[in-house]
Amino acid sequence: MSDAAVTETTATGSILIEHEVGLHARPSVKLTKLAKTFASRIELGLSADGPWIDAKSIVKVMAFKAGKGATLHFRAHGGDANEAVAALVGLVRRDFDEGQPGG
Amino acid sequence: MESVGVVIVSHSPKVAEGAADMVRQMVGEEVPLAWTGGNPSGGLGTDVGQIMSAIDRAWSDAGVVLLVDLGGAETNSEMAIEMLPDERRGKVLICNAPVVEGAVVAATEAAGGSSVDLVRQTAEEYSAR
Amino acid sequence: MSAGAELRAELVRAVAAVIDRHAEELTSLDQAIGDGDHGLNMKRGFDAVLADAANLSAKPWPDFLKGAGTMLVMKVGGASGPLYGTLFMALGKELPAEPGRADLARAFRAAIAAVQARGKSERSQKTMLDVLIPVAEALEAGTFEAAAVARTAHAAAEATIPLKAVRGRASFLGDRSIGHMDPGARSSALLIEAIGSVLEKA
Repeated sequence: MSDAAVTETTATGSILIEHEVGLHARPSVKLTKLAKTFASRIELGLSADGPWIDAKSIVKVMAFKAGKGATLHFRAHGGDANEAVAALVGLVRRDFDEGQPGG
Repeated sequence: MESVGVVIVSHSPKVAEGAADMVRQMVGEEVPLAWTGGNPSGGLGTDVGQIMSAIDRAWSDAGVVLLVDLGGAETNSEMAIEMLPDERRGKVLICNAPVVEGAVVAATEAAGGSSVDLVRQTAEEYSAR
Repeated sequence: MSAGAELRAELVRAVAAVIDRHAEELTSLDQAIGDGDHGLNMKRGFDAVLADAANLSAKPWPDFLKGAGTMLVMKVGGASGPLYGTLFMALGKELPAEPGRADLARAFRAAIAAVQARGKSERSQKTMLDVLIPVAEALEAGTFEAAAVARTAHAAAEATIPLKAVRGRASFLGDRSIGHMDPGARSSALLIEAIGSVLEKA
């Protein structure tokens, strides 16, 4: 973060889904829950130009079809936009923490 | 702010417990959760007293949503809500949503700290898709 | 014990006795089109009310009926508990402390409306309403003679035999529910007969 900690910023990031079944039910829950922990407005799309859906809406994320090989794009705006995008990209990169038993 | 609680009411204790397992595994432990189902003799059914005690187990001052299955489960849940003490009654809502999907979606919404109205709305929005 | 309290205690004994005598019959009716526990459930509920008769009867009519209704909700269970519980609780809400015949007819009609709302059901759907509604009509028409009211109730219960169930567990059977008396209609008729014969003596 730069000098403007309280300034609202826009951040974007993208990540390839490598998880076998893609953004299915359980990853959708994890992604939504994580998104909700940030104050920024966070959106999710399949391309850098959208269309975008609200990443904090479990209903919209559940309905969002994204299989293995798709690239997820995140766009966030707010005080913690950078952290939000970094955290969400990290979750997808870790295959939604689905590897471990009970994860 | 405490998370809204989720109560699962099914005629079958196995369905209710299974749906609760899915909520625990998919959403986690932070949402107060309880289930009830079956009658005292081991058959299918729901029971007003048991529903009231499930609401008590999942109680949160933020409120509680109920996911219910067929007919009698809804009737008995409405009755259970009416019989709650005045200060609790207004905070308990029945979601018009399928039990399993509704419970997972409601719990996800509740885990984010949403109000009881929003939790119900989200569960119903999912079923209305 | 006051006259009112004695009357209430006698009502409790009468309804518990009639349910006890007919528990097996209600169960076999329910085995045909429901889940076969109506007799047992009703007996458990009315036995609980009987066990608490001294305490309940000492209360004025509204509280007596609300207390008995709450107990039925909790102890009968199934679908019948909330429906019978609602009936008695609503009667308690509607009746004044010293009810007369006109109060009874009006309160009974209002209590039936509460049962209808609870069960989301109508007349002719093969339920207890098919007995309660004709009885309400008889009371509204000024028929309070116990034997006549009982005849109305039992005829109405018989009339559920050819009906097809569209509410409750019996509705899963569809056309196969035709040809059996509805257990809730039967228990309603039995309760009305028992209550009528006690009230007539009062």
